[in-house]
Amino acid sequence: MSKNSRQVKVALKYCGSCNPRVDLSRIARHLSKVAEEREDFQLVPLSENDIDVVVILCGCPRACGNKEEVRARAKRSLFTAGESVNRQAVPETQLPMAVEQELVRILDS
Amino acid sequence: MTMMTGKQYRESIRRLKPEVYYLGEKIESVADHPAFLPHVNAAALTYDMALAPEFEELLSTTSHLTGEKINRYTHIHHSHDDLVKKVKMLRALGQQTGSCFQRCVGHDGLNSVYSITYDIDQKMGTDYHKRLVNLLKEVQSKDLMISGAMTDVKGDRRLSPSQQKDPDLYVHMVEKKKDGIVVSGAKAHITGAVNSHGHLVMPTAAMKAEDADYAVCFYVPVDAPGVIHIFGRQTNDTRKCNCFLDQGNVDYGIVGGEALIVFDKVFVPWERVFMCGEYEFAYELVERFATAHRQNYGGCKTGLADALIGATYALAQVQGTDRASHTRDKLVEMVHLAETLYCCSIACSCQGYALPAGSYMADPLLANVTKLNVTREVYEIARLAQDIAGGILATAPSEMDWKDARVGKYVDKYMKGVAGVPTETRLRLIRLLEGMTCGTALVESMHGAGSPQAQRIMIERQANFERKKRLAEKLAKIGEQPLLVC
Repeated sequence: MSKNSRQVKVALKYCGSCNPRVDLSRIARHLSKVAEEREDFQLVPLSENDIDVVVILCGCPRACGNKEEVRARAKRSLFTAGESVNRQAVPETQLPMAVEQELVRILDS
Repeated sequence: MTMMTGKQYRESIRRLKPEVYYLGEKIESVADHPAFLPHVNAAALTYDMALAPEFEELLSTTSHLTGEKINRYTHIHHSHDDLVKKVKMLRALGQQTGSCFQRCVGHDGLNSVYSITYDIDQKMGTDYHKRLVNLLKEVQSKDLMISGAMTDVKGDRRLSPSQQKDPDLYVHMVEKKKDGIVVSGAKAHITGAVNSHGHLVMPTAAMKAEDADYAVCFYVPVDAPGVIHIFGRQTNDTRKCNCFLDQGNVDYGIVGGEALIVFDKVFVPWERVFMCGEYEFAYELVERFATAHRQNYGGCKTGLADALIGATYALAQVQGTDRASHTRDKLVEMVHLAETLYCCSIACSCQGYALPAGSYMADPLLANVTKLNVTREVYEIARLAQDIAGGILATAPSEMDWKDARVGKYVDKYMKGVAGVPTETRLRLIRLLEGMTCGTALVESMHGAGSPQAQRIMIERQANFERKKRLAEKLAKIGEQPLLVC
């Protein structure tokens, strides 16, 4: 996915937030801001068709949102699970940036 | 060969020659000595039940390494279903043995070391995980029983391993050789140690750089030179040698059979070393092992409670108190407490998650809550059993007097309960309840898998008080008012 192609569709999916150990909405707000700055991707509802990347935001390691049917909604996916991104440990304070970096890595790949 | 029968297990440990001492005596054959038979029997049942059609769904599974059918006790969890089935397996075994069947410690050790060696390799470029996988293949193919040896003797608890006056109070590396390491020290309270095939030895606490020599994890065969086992005493343990009825649980005893394992300059080849100086991973290994082991206690203890409640109910019937409303209330309370513990173990399993190695572990917070509840509720269950049973639990005459030519008739006459039920039935139930509620078994519920304070420490670490505070502040209209607290 290059920067000059059509705007990439990125959808967010929350686990349900029953008892989150991290502030998931902070990650979402950060991604929204990044989307405005970069202009090469837009945040869209998960119900849209042809989603390129789904960012699955889970509040704890159980990662209830990281399900096959969610991942199947997009070509690529990444997920948080408490203090981790794709199962790599990340402190809560660095989560928004770590998610952004992982998303950018996907966008640039 | 993949899965052994109980008989094959007995034969396999009979072939081993571990150095074992008990009551000042060197034991020639653990598999044949009456002091160890109940523990051997309980462990053997983990083999036989895995092959029994009624239980194979719980006690056997498929190896993710070879695709072979294996005993679940040699399996690495790879799903929530695996975690839940472990708990159900423990309950089923607890119901059948009424005692500890010992094999879960090594199972939890294998799972913990499997995931931590992967993490160490990722960061340090070592090859520990490959070594562990090789050991695991051997454990699975030979269906070995592994003890999990974590708890060091610790000496002065105020001091770290390297600060102790005697360096051997924590197991540590004393020499690094070209072909392996030499270790010394001792591990305490090791369940099933004398009737296992080998020991998986793990560090017991968080370590700092100065403790690097103590950050060792390795496997040794039970009869490796320099490995010495000193078997611990249990309540009424001499009854194993001179009684039958008075043992209560004749086949499986009252608890797992714990030993002090001394490592006197034991050589460990590199292929059996899984951590050697990587002190920064010691705490994580302890936490994963503790989580796995604390997950268990609402499974096995609930199985034991099922048998205990049954014994209490049966004794109440024999004594004519079973229809009394307070007896029914207490029996219901015992069930309520037991099932609460089961809920805890099932919950922490369902809330478990995958680790980078691909294996699964239970939720640490809920697993610690499970075990902390066990330290209380098993005592309460036992208290209610003793309440219903009556003081006879502590005063019943021995089986020798019941069989005595002169006084046996009096014991039989005056120990009888309701008409039509033999006195022997009452005495058997009393002895079973005595073994399950009056001694070593209770202490195991308190300190097995770590003392209550260890669980409180882990609960505090996982509690996330700050988020709870934010929830309260929102409700109380204090400070910034987000729409939702997430």
